[in-house]
Amino acid sequence: MSVSTRPGLSQRFGRVRVAATVAMSIKARALREAGHDVVTFAIGEPDFATPPHAIEAAHQAALRGDTKYPPQDGTRALKAAIQRQFQRDHGLDYALDEIMVSSGAKQVLFNALMATVDEGDEVVIPVPCWAAYTLMTKLVGGTPVHVSCPQNNRFRLRPEDLEAAITPRTKWLMLNYPNNPTGAVASPAELAGLAEVLLRHPQVWVMADDMYEHLYYSDERYATLAEVEPRLRDRTLTVSGVSKTYAMTGWRIGFAGGPKDLIRAMVSMQGTSAAGVSTIGQAAAVGALDGPQELVAERAAIYRRRRDFVVDALNTCPGIACHRPEGAFYVFPNIAGCLGKTTAGGRLLQTDEDFALALLEEHHVALVQGAAFGMSPYLRISYATDDASLAKGMERIAAFTRGLR
Amino acid sequence: MKLIADRLDRISPSQTIAIATKARALQADGRDVISLSAGEPDFDTPQFVKDGAIAAIQAGETKYTDVAGTPALRRAVAEKFRRDSGIDYAPDEIIVSTGGKQVIFNAMLATMDAGDEAIIPSPCWVSYPDIVALAEGKPVFVPCSQNNGFRLRAEDLEAAITPRTKWFILNSPCNPTGAAYSAADLRPLCDVLLRHPEVWIFTDDIYEKLVYDGFRPATIVEVEPALRDRTVTMNGCSKAYAMTGWRIGFAGAPKALIKAMDKLQSQSTSNASSVSQAAALVGLTGPQDFIGEMVAVYHQRRDLVVEMLNQAPGITCHKPEGAFYVFPSMRGCLGKTSAKGAKITDDESFVIALLDEEGVACVHGAAFMCPDHFRISYATDTASLREACSRIQRFCRGLA
Repeated sequence: MSVSTRPGLSQRFGRVRVAATVAMSIKARALREAGHDVVTFAIGEPDFATPPHAIEAAHQAALRGDTKYPPQDGTRALKAAIQRQFQRDHGLDYALDEIMVSSGAKQVLFNALMATVDEGDEVVIPVPCWAAYTLMTKLVGGTPVHVSCPQNNRFRLRPEDLEAAITPRTKWLMLNYPNNPTGAVASPAELAGLAEVLLRHPQVWVMADDMYEHLYYSDERYATLAEVEPRLRDRTLTVSGVSKTYAMTGWRIGFAGGPKDLIRAMVSMQGTSAAGVSTIGQAAAVGALDGPQELVAERAAIYRRRRDFVVDALNTCPGIACHRPEGAFYVFPNIAGCLGKTTAGGRLLQTDEDFALALLEEHHVALVQGAAFGMSPYLRISYATDDASLAKGMERIAAFTRGLR
Repeated sequence: MKLIADRLDRISPSQTIAIATKARALQADGRDVISLSAGEPDFDTPQFVKDGAIAAIQAGETKYTDVAGTPALRRAVAEKFRRDSGIDYAPDEIIVSTGGKQVIFNAMLATMDAGDEAIIPSPCWVSYPDIVALAEGKPVFVPCSQNNGFRLRAEDLEAAITPRTKWFILNSPCNPTGAAYSAADLRPLCDVLLRHPEVWIFTDDIYEKLVYDGFRPATIVEVEPALRDRTVTMNGCSKAYAMTGWRIGFAGAPKALIKAMDKLQSQSTSNASSVSQAAALVGLTGPQDFIGEMVAVYHQRRDLVVEMLNQAPGITCHKPEGAFYVFPSMRGCLGKTSAKGAKITDDESFVIALLDEEGVACVHGAAFMCPDHFRISYATDTASLREACSRIQRFCRGLA
């Protein structure tokens, strides 16, 4: 070992990267601190407030002294509320020992992968995808296997592509609908097509990351895999949380339902890495899950209106073609028509990252390049922001694209 | 293909499940069980901290924060290290995590490769070896005997260091023994560490505020600033502010390591709860006098428990400097049989028989890598403590 007064970082650590979304936010903040009026579409966070009944539940919990170590798998009250939600939304019956609570859905995924993935195990990840899937897979020594979901299939995974990606080393398939970054949602019929493939490969576990499930702009209700194909229930982890549905990102409450042996392993992992989840946050989550749900539909209607505004505005920009997605609060426009051109500020746009950086520098709009999600040349725009900022940002993007030569 | 990854097999099975399960079963049967097994204060979070949290919620502090913690909390943590230990950390040398445990996990996972060694003085909190093993490292235990007040001796540290040593983990005041290190106690350890520049140091000072008889605990960087560039100084709100459930731990460390821990945390959980961070800020920057009131109560309880245990035949209890634990030896009870016929063959059979026959729950020493002892937490009201100790005395008197 070398003699050094700098930290010798582990090899596994070399696999960890700062997410591009974070890097873009840091750049945007620097510009803002320098006095610029920056509009940001880079962050995947609702602009709404935590529902009042969740706040009241947190308040009551603090007053009654609910401030001691919680059980490592979550409080009984929250697990029971989650059990009711799985039943109410999906007709899924999970026993209390098939449910766990984590510090955000991110920790649910981390626990599951840490608890199950050995060196060289493969994780099938449809792309574009949330970068965390790939980074976490590498962190735990697994091999990410990316499967492209092109725009001409509305960014959804095709059964034949899934079939081709599965090998004897495949441990997990990550499914994320409504999808970050594309907003794509797979219908029950499409999920059934994937399920048919999965039934032929009993070694494959499925992570159904349903974080955005209540942000679905359709007359239908979102259906999750274990509900569509009950025969997959015993190897599916159904993941959700309160961050997106109830605008409670800061509280850090995610949860999952799954087979008991998997949940037990995940609890063991969590017990060793961080132990339980904030009791006050858990109490607030009970308030949100058990309280009136009208707010969810009201907010979804607002998001839907914003989506339509953004898609229409982007489609008037020269060189941009924007697909109209079914859910989440993202759009994922194609910018192939802008590449090879030069901005008014004299920057040559060769990649989507060039586009994102030039837009930020010249027009102070922060968004994230598609490359950060594994597909180029695209942009991810989060429309979880107020109407005035959306209007201002869209005007700036239009001005930017009109200035391209 | 098997479901569970190899790394999970490296976590030791819980040593305390048998006891906890039995305690619950007895309680369910309506038995009067006094639990002395809790690792958390029995005090409630101070009202002004709760009020601060509620005000923060109402002000909308419910969004993602920086992964390493809000700038305000990191500044407050830096100020805490300056105020209490005279250590200067810049805000980018501070990280806030979901409990002290996550700080340890981040540090070990970010730095340990397969076969790297971590020196852990024992008895110890079992999470240290578990986290080291999870990070594919090798825990190297160095026993600290009761006749040295359960403190590590410099020569034993020196003998344990090898070319593969990556970390030295020190917990003062200690769980489970309550042993704490003064500046004079740390000096010889620092001298050893100065001779081994490849070794990193992790000091878990989470019980720092809980010390008695005017004892002044010190931390490594305060005693030897030359070790600052390879030390993680960890602390948190759980014990000092009775805030276990809020899950806020933090650390100061060199910037490069903090940056690595921040990146790792960004991929495993991201920021600690924004609401809990707001509460921690209020705790750290508000009036601190309630800590003194709490410590006075713990002090009385410690003295009561040590005195009563030393009156129990077969038990010798050292009086520790801090935390809210005592770690008596029960060696004098080995080989005996209890009033109801249980054979006392080891520390675990002792605590199980004690629970069965007298309804007192505590944790056996093997759960802390130190057999022939047991851990008593006195973070319980004084009347219950007195009653529990009387029962222990009766139990020991009944041994034959």
